[in-house]
Amino acid sequence: MMRAPRTFPPLLSVIAGLVASLLLVFLAAPIIELVGAGGGEGLRRLGSDAELRGALALTAFCATAATVIGVLCATPLAYLLARREFPGRAVLSAVLDLPLLIPHPVAGIALLLVLGRESALGGAALAAGIRIVGTPLGIIAAMLFVSAPLFVSGAREAFARVDPRFEGVARTLGDTPWRAFHRVTLPLAGRGLLAAAVVMWARAVSEFGAIVILTYNPKVVSVLSYDRFTSYGLREALPVAAALALLALVPLTVLRALRVDRREEM
Amino acid sequence: MIHLDRVSATKGRFRLAEVSFALEVGAYGVVIGPAGSGKTTLLEVLAGLVPVQGGRVLLDGVERRWMPPESRDIGLVYQQAYLFPHLSVAQNVAYGARDIATQQEVIERLGVTPLLARDVAGLSGGERQLVALARALARRPRLLLLDEPFSALDPRRRGLVRREVRDLHRAWGLTTLQVTHDFAEAGLLGDQAILLDAGQVLQSGPPAEVFRKPASPYVAEFLGAENVFAGTARPWTAAPDDAIGERQQAMAFETGTLTFYAVGDFAAGAGHAVIRAEEVTVARDQTYDSARNRFSGRVVEVATLGALTRVTVDVRDTPIVAAVSTQSARDLALAPGLAVVVSFKAMAVHLC
Repeated sequence: MMRAPRTFPPLLSVIAGLVASLLLVFLAAPIIELVGAGGGEGLRRLGSDAELRGALALTAFCATAATVIGVLCATPLAYLLARREFPGRAVLSAVLDLPLLIPHPVAGIALLLVLGRESALGGAALAAGIRIVGTPLGIIAAMLFVSAPLFVSGAREAFARVDPRFEGVARTLGDTPWRAFHRVTLPLAGRGLLAAAVVMWARAVSEFGAIVILTYNPKVVSVLSYDRFTSYGLREALPVAAALALLALVPLTVLRALRVDRREEM
Repeated sequence: MIHLDRVSATKGRFRLAEVSFALEVGAYGVVIGPAGSGKTTLLEVLAGLVPVQGGRVLLDGVERRWMPPESRDIGLVYQQAYLFPHLSVAQNVAYGARDIATQQEVIERLGVTPLLARDVAGLSGGERQLVALARALARRPRLLLLDEPFSALDPRRRGLVRREVRDLHRAWGLTTLQVTHDFAEAGLLGDQAILLDAGQVLQSGPPAEVFRKPASPYVAEFLGAENVFAGTARPWTAAPDDAIGERQQAMAFETGTLTFYAVGDFAAGAGHAVIRAEEVTVARDQTYDSARNRFSGRVVEVATLGALTRVTVDVRDTPIVAAVSTQSARDLALAPGLAVVVSFKAMAVHLC
């Protein structure tokens, strides 16, 4: 006689479910409350509040630019980390995780030290007529710094999930390493890479700490909501904050839709 | 010719250690070995997918150790097929195809046509192997590397595909190296058998020779030799002259209370005697034949496996196994307890 698969004891399942529900409510309630209270007004303000419209456009543009730069620069790195054993790989991985571990205002201060007019790099850029601090370039730099590690991590996982033997077979079928990469590895890792890029974009959109140090003006939405809160109070900040939450929810929805599509294909 | 000369390579924790063998152009080689012996790694070394750390890989007499896989003119089929899941079956077959005509010929020969419209995800294990084989052959490579390519095929299709691959191998002069667990397949397909264990070549040569003359008792047992005896060999001085050929010695091998006579290129001393069950005959009485080794005993076990029957005979507390046709076993009415005579020729005794 076949034995029924073992399951958790009922009491344990109830307790686990209760604890999980509490966490879920704690995580979701503020966002639901925020969007519920200010979402409608935020959308209405899009028609009348030019500053909010500008901040949203700047946020989306800078996040997109940071994501494009991140994807272009970090994809080879993620592939290298997923595929190759080399001395210092663990150190490199740890360095890539650093921006995720330090407080974001601290990241902003660190970036200011490297990109500010007193620094070698910032000074050289300024001499070439390129100002970084206090411009959208500063926003992009801050967004890139805090969100690129998320892309590297996601892309690395996406590449690691593709069995290297697929590439090996492609090589035996006449492909050069680059051709095998773009004909086989890239399509197979494609959804994972896209998901990693979406997460990076969402993280960039919601960044505040590093941006506020590097570029207070022009204002991205997170800085604008902070500015309205400190200048006019919660009532004025609420629609802006809700608009930012809605903007951040867009990629999440896209990501979920992609996953649903994938399940349906399978 | 493929010539591996003391090749060493590491993949993860596994290491191929000083592997050497040669395979003539157009030959069909089979690599036999237990799981984890390095068979797949060996193929990947030849394909250029696993870097060589020491030794030489000579293809047609030229060192190809540094040559990238795409320049080696090879086809590789893994046991798991590794079909590209984002492409259709037709696109998979066409992926590296030499030309449309070759692609079409392979598709028709292997019977892949009904699968072309199918999605890769919906194929069975056997169908996947078939498509992977077609994909590799459509390239018409000079060297075909097969890692248990027929293992997931049903017996009927396995026979058909095996025959088609063998035909293409002959027609195209395709040098082929195939990994297999199946000794029958090795004997059926191979011009040369390479026995691999723990990353080392234990023995290589024509399959019949490897099976009949294993280099060690371990090889003998791995290849399924039923009669392997430990003992001591000494010169058989009383051997008749007509029994000994050139460069051969006659030896008497003592194991327990039995003495086997052997003729071959053997040295005296402690070792093992190997006698394949197929070389042992069973009779009801002492009928005369030319066999030098003849013993009376009692049948202890009779096991019928289709057309072959394995008979275990106890000869003075030493079990000797004979493989006879099931028809012969019926004619002799072999059954446990029956007194019989087992015999085998001195040439059938291999000392190692």
